[in-house]
Amino acid sequence: MSTQSLISRYGRLTIFMIPIGIAINFVGGQLALLLKLPVYLDSIGTILVGALCGGIPGALVGLISNGINSITSPPTLAFGVLSVIFGLLAGWLGKRGVFTVFWKTLASAIPFALIGGVLGALITLWVFGGLAVGGGALVVGALMATGMDVTTANFVAQVPMDFLDKVPTVLAVFVVLRGIPRRIYAKLPLGEVYLRARGVTPAPAFTASRPAPGGQM
Amino acid sequence: MNPLLPGGAGATSDGTFGGVVSYGNRVRDMHPLNVAVVLACISLLALVTPRPVGLVAGCVAFLGLAVAAGVGVPFARLYAKLLLGVGLVLFVLRAAFADGNQVLFEWGPLAPTREGVRDGTDFALTVMVLCGALTLYFALVPMKTLMLALELRGMPPQATYILLASFQAISDLSRSARVVMDAQRSRGIETEGNLWVRAKAFLPVLAPVFITALNQTEERAVALDARAFNSGIPHTHLLQLRPTPTWERAATTLVAAGCLATIGVRLLWT
Repeated sequence: MSTQSLISRYGRLTIFMIPIGIAINFVGGQLALLLKLPVYLDSIGTILVGALCGGIPGALVGLISNGINSITSPPTLAFGVLSVIFGLLAGWLGKRGVFTVFWKTLASAIPFALIGGVLGALITLWVFGGLAVGGGALVVGALMATGMDVTTANFVAQVPMDFLDKVPTVLAVFVVLRGIPRRIYAKLPLGEVYLRARGVTPAPAFTASRPAPGGQM
Repeated sequence: MNPLLPGGAGATSDGTFGGVVSYGNRVRDMHPLNVAVVLACISLLALVTPRPVGLVAGCVAFLGLAVAAGVGVPFARLYAKLLLGVGLVLFVLRAAFADGNQVLFEWGPLAPTREGVRDGTDFALTVMVLCGALTLYFALVPMKTLMLALELRGMPPQATYILLASFQAISDLSRSARVVMDAQRSRGIETEGNLWVRAKAFLPVLAPVFITALNQTEERAVALDARAFNSGIPHTHLLQLRPTPTWERAATTLVAAGCLATIGVRLLWT
C-alpha cells in the first residue's frame, strides 16, 4: 500500500500517529525496565494505533518497531510477523468496539497472548532450533536443564510469559484510550467507535465523508 | 568530540558544508546506498565462506572499516557490548543445551557437547556478522542522510517522515517519561519496592506521557500542513548529498561483482 493510498484510506492524522505508536512501543519497554517489571510491554503502541487507526497502520507500527529493534538484535527480525499480526488483530478488535468496554479489553489479552506465545514458540523452534535470545531463552534453557524437551520447554516458557505481558499491555491501551480527547477521536479512522461508546452520535457528514474521516486537516 | 558525530575539517556541527553532507572522510562520505551495498557484500561473503573463519573475517572487516571511517573506538565499544549481550548469550545457550554425542564435561544438569559448542560458535558469529553490518551502517550513515538518499530515489516524503519522526519521537518520549516519573515520585507514587508496588507505578507514569504524545500529533499535523508537507509538488531539502565520485562507483561495482562471483563459485563448488 503506497503512502498516498494509506492517507486517502486512513486520513492524514494516521501518518502522524505511526511514529508516536513506534515511540510508545519503545518507551513502554523502557518503563518496564526502569520499574524492573518482569514483562516486555513493547507492543502497547502497536495495539493502540491498531485500535485507533485500523489494522494496516497498527501492523506498520509493529513492523517498523521490529525493524528498529533488529538494528541491535537481528534475531528479533524473525518475530516481526508477530508484531504485524498484533496490529492487524488490534484493528479488527478495535472496529468491533472491544477496547471500549473494560472486560472485553481484558479478554482481548487472550488472543494476543496465544498468538504471541504459540506463534512465538513455533518461530523460535523453526528459525532458531528452540534457543533464540532474550529472557525467554534463559527460561527455556533452565527448563531444558531440568530434563524437559526443547519443544515443550518453549511452549511452557513462552505462553505464560505472554499472558503476563499482554494483560498489562491491553490495560494500558484501555487507560490511554479513555484519556484521549473527543476532538482527536473525531479525526481518526476508528474514532467513531469510541465516540459512540461515549454517547456521542457523530453527525451524518462524519460517516459520509469516507475515505479519510478526520484526516482532512 | 563524539567521533560518531560529523566533524571533519571545515564541517559544520551537523556535517554539512553549505548544505552538502560531508565528514572529510572518504568512507563516511560515500553515498548511503553504496555503503549499504559494501556492507551487505561483506556480510554475504562472511556467510558463504567456510565457517567459522569466514564469519570471524567478516567481524574483523567491519572493525577495520570502522577504523578507516574514524569511528573505530565507539563502534568497537558498541560491538563489544553486543558480543557480550547477544553473541555470548547465544553461544552459551547453544553450547550448553544443543543436542550432541561427544560430551565435553558434565556439570550438574548441564552436559555441553562438541557439536553444541560448534553450533553455538557458528550461530553466535552469524548473528554478530549481521549485528556488525547493521550497527556499522548506522554508525556511518545518519538516518537523515539515508532518508534523503531514499527520497531522492523516489521514496515518498511521508514514508521518510514516518521513519525519521519515529527516531525523534523515541528520544522525546523517553525524556518525557523520565520527567513524568520524577514528577509522580515527588507526588508520592512509589517506584521502588516489591513487584506489586512497582507495577502500580506503571500506569500513572505511562498514561500522561502517551496521552500527551497522542494529543501533540494534531499540532504536528497542522504545523506540517502549514508548510505544504502534503502538497503534490517536489519537496526542497535543507541537506544535499555530495555528488558520487567515479572511483566510488567503480569500487562499489567491483565489490558487488566480486561478491556475486564468489557466491556463484561457492554454489557451483558445493
